[in-house]
Amino acid sequence: MRKIFGLTTLLIGLFLVYILSTPQKVGETAIPPLAKLLNPYTGAWQNAESLEDYTDFSLESDQIKEEVRIVFDDRMVPHIFAQNLQDAMFAQGYVEAYHRLFQMDISTRSPDGRLSEILGPNLLDYDKKQRRLGLGYAADNAVQGWAQFPEELKNVNAYSAGINHFIQNLKPKDYPLEYKLLDFAPSEWTNRHCALLLKAMTQTLAGYEEDIEMSNALRIFGNEDFNLIYPDRNPKDIPIVQGPFLKAKESFDNLNISEISDVYIQSIDRPRSPDGVGSNNWAVAGNKTVTGKPMLANDPHLGLSLPSVWYEIAITTPNFSAQGVTLLGMPGIMIGFNENIAWGETNVGHDMSDYHTISWTDNTKTTYMLDSQVVKADLKIETYNVKGTGVIYDTVRYTHWGPVVEDKTNLALRWIAHDASPTPEFMAFINGMQCNNYDDYLKSTADFYAPAQNFVYADNNNEIGIRINGAVPIKNYRQGVTISPGAASSDGWQGIIPRDENPQERNPTRGYVSSANQYSASADYPYYYNGNFEPYRGRTIHKYLQERDTVDIAYMKTMQNSTYSMLAEEALASMLPMLDSINSSHPFAISLAKWNRHYDANSSDPVRFDKWFAAFHEMLWDEIYTQQDKVALPSPDLWVTVNMIEQVTDSKFYDIEATPGIETLSNLINISFAQTLDSDPIPLSQEKNAQILHLTRLPAFSEMEIALGGTKHSLNAMQQTFGPSWRMVVALGEKPEAYGTYPGGQSGNPASPFYKNKIATWAKGEYDKLELATKPEDISKSLFSVSITHEK
Amino acid sequence: MKNSILFILILVATAALSPFLPWWIIAPIAFMGTYVSKTKATAGFLICFLAVFLAWLGSILMTDDGTIAVLMGKLLNVSSSFTPFLASLLGALVAGFFGLAGSLLSPKTKNWVND
Repeated sequence: MRKIFGLTTLLIGLFLVYILSTPQKVGETAIPPLAKLLNPYTGAWQNAESLEDYTDFSLESDQIKEEVRIVFDDRMVPHIFAQNLQDAMFAQGYVEAYHRLFQMDISTRSPDGRLSEILGPNLLDYDKKQRRLGLGYAADNAVQGWAQFPEELKNVNAYSAGINHFIQNLKPKDYPLEYKLLDFAPSEWTNRHCALLLKAMTQTLAGYEEDIEMSNALRIFGNEDFNLIYPDRNPKDIPIVQGPFLKAKESFDNLNISEISDVYIQSIDRPRSPDGVGSNNWAVAGNKTVTGKPMLANDPHLGLSLPSVWYEIAITTPNFSAQGVTLLGMPGIMIGFNENIAWGETNVGHDMSDYHTISWTDNTKTTYMLDSQVVKADLKIETYNVKGTGVIYDTVRYTHWGPVVEDKTNLALRWIAHDASPTPEFMAFINGMQCNNYDDYLKSTADFYAPAQNFVYADNNNEIGIRINGAVPIKNYRQGVTISPGAASSDGWQGIIPRDENPQERNPTRGYVSSANQYSASADYPYYYNGNFEPYRGRTIHKYLQERDTVDIAYMKTMQNSTYSMLAEEALASMLPMLDSINSSHPFAISLAKWNRHYDANSSDPVRFDKWFAAFHEMLWDEIYTQQDKVALPSPDLWVTVNMIEQVTDSKFYDIEATPGIETLSNLINISFAQTLDSDPIPLSQEKNAQILHLTRLPAFSEMEIALGGTKHSLNAMQQTFGPSWRMVVALGEKPEAYGTYPGGQSGNPASPFYKNKIATWAKGEYDKLELATKPEDISKSLFSVSITHEK
Repeated sequence: MKNSILFILILVATAALSPFLPWWIIAPIAFMGTYVSKTKATAGFLICFLAVFLAWLGSILMTDDGTIAVLMGKLLNVSSSFTPFLASLLGALVAGFFGLAGSLLSPKTKNWVND
């Protein structure tokens, strides 16, 4: 009896150990392995971090040649002092892993379709979508291509070795908190992970396409209306590069595009560029600044997350000393400055993702017709080791164009992300940070392949410039707006625009260069391009820079934080006068008339305007919005609506189809206004409910309910979860004077004092001073330092 | 006296071995402790429970300034001041059950019912 009771107790004990060591689910709530997570010796408690914990340490590696010192300043920014570039790259890899290992792991697992390996079957669908888009295939291609550049690749090898040095010396008790929570271990970093990171950025930034939806719209509306609803260009836009272009433009005879499909096609559900991705940058020439030397500003707008997408870093070798931010997983400095130059990027919105139709020879879908020949598709079997479920297989068909993303559609994806770069693309940011003049900078950044960026530049020699660096396809007129044919290899892009012919400007007479994701070049640019372009921020930068004869750092900061909306300005100028006498005397209308068109956090006017404008927009395009639940159709751009109100008095589209009468423009304006009166408007910050979520989306590790102003179309392009992810202003001179801020912190550890310490500064529109230290002694306040010596 | 020594042994073994071994090392420690010492069942449970509870709680309070307690509290939807106790309770329960099992399964001459 005693034995039976004893054995029973033992079994209960073993059962408890099992339950507390494995993830559990109670209803829909996932519970982490509690004792693994909460035991004091290897659990979460070991991730406690406080200011007193930081002490100097040293390490050895046979991968480095000479001693490296890393000094973490009082903002936890690592300043790397190395005797050669490769040692610096090793140190960069080390510090990035030291602070952000989990982030690097997750952000490369995501494009590789390996989230379900650690997060279980809920992520399998997402993983499949990522793999069917060919992101892992793209990374394989990239790594193969990189092998052609063994000398340059040594830098990436050193960077990866630095990351691995950190991982290999990590004890389970020191794993980042998220590993303990999700119960998995870090794995080795390879150069392929660097490629995956680049591909993930290409997905975010060059993932725009609406081919299927546009094809459906063309079928419904016909060419004339299609061109009215979905025009390629906003005539009011001021392009980044204003020409004139010397090379003659091809004449486009046939302005119509023909339908490819005789049926409506369902959208392909793929992760694309999220709405709200974009950036601002500008450089002002010395003759337009108070210092007489150029100034440069850059603020990339990306999904805001904790930890932040950016990591601040400073790198010094005997040849250069540079500082700025980088994305975790790529060596070099992406946005920053050195003693002589400053640089930054904004995204190029060109459509570089086109679907081509495939004619399969039979239902097995293993061979298809191309150039009147039967061609075999490559069948790639994708294997998913789903946590808690087992192994699952999926077959993806690869064609001449690329992968068939969804088997039911017979459409193959031609995407710039899949290309192997003919240049050592990873060197753009490694060489770029070392340059001292514009010719060298242009040469270095010409290596960049995808996602194409507007690289802005300024230097101490009073040069400023901007150029698209990256691959931009050569297309026929309106090629890729809708689904492209795929029967002949000539149906594809005609190549890549030579770098020298990419839009670029150097020291223009207007005294500044700028970009904000608008059209790349004026209408006489010889190559056709379409895509997703921002219609207001670009013009807002021009407005601000033209208002002043000279600018200073404070003005540049004011610009970056401006919540002025040109869309609201233009729309209200036409909409308010069209209100009838009853509506125009309503307090809402009176308030809107007085409103300064700034999306300030405390103001309710922007909320009123947004509601009114959205209601009007949907009424105007009811022909589209009422059909969207049946047919996949693109939503018209807001600027098309603004221009319609301004310029088109009569249009069949003003009629609301569901009503018996015929509505006019002024009817729509007044009906939509009346619709917005039923609720008490709340302040913008409340309506926006801005939040910065941890990568796992766990509220415990996130920052919720941040009171912020801004809108997608203001320079401070703050939306709910997207916005300025890094703001930098640099004044060049004898010594660069630089300021920067971002919504996060250097450490990825949610328990670190440096996890989200910068959010408050950033939210207030304030900046940290970025002190370029050329030697360790220049850093007046430091937290700790690390020395890495050569291991014999 | 014997019980006090066992209590101290389990507490010290937990603190000394846990940093290098999986968290469940407390299970064999508790089991072996009561099995070898032939501690009575109720005492076996209580000694192991208390020793591990104190070892874990002490270690947590020495490691964390409260930040992790707050994070774990938010994560598990419990009061942050309660999380160190909750964590220690988990270890204590496991140790208690194994301590009890060790007592019950250790060869004894006396009838356990009369203990």
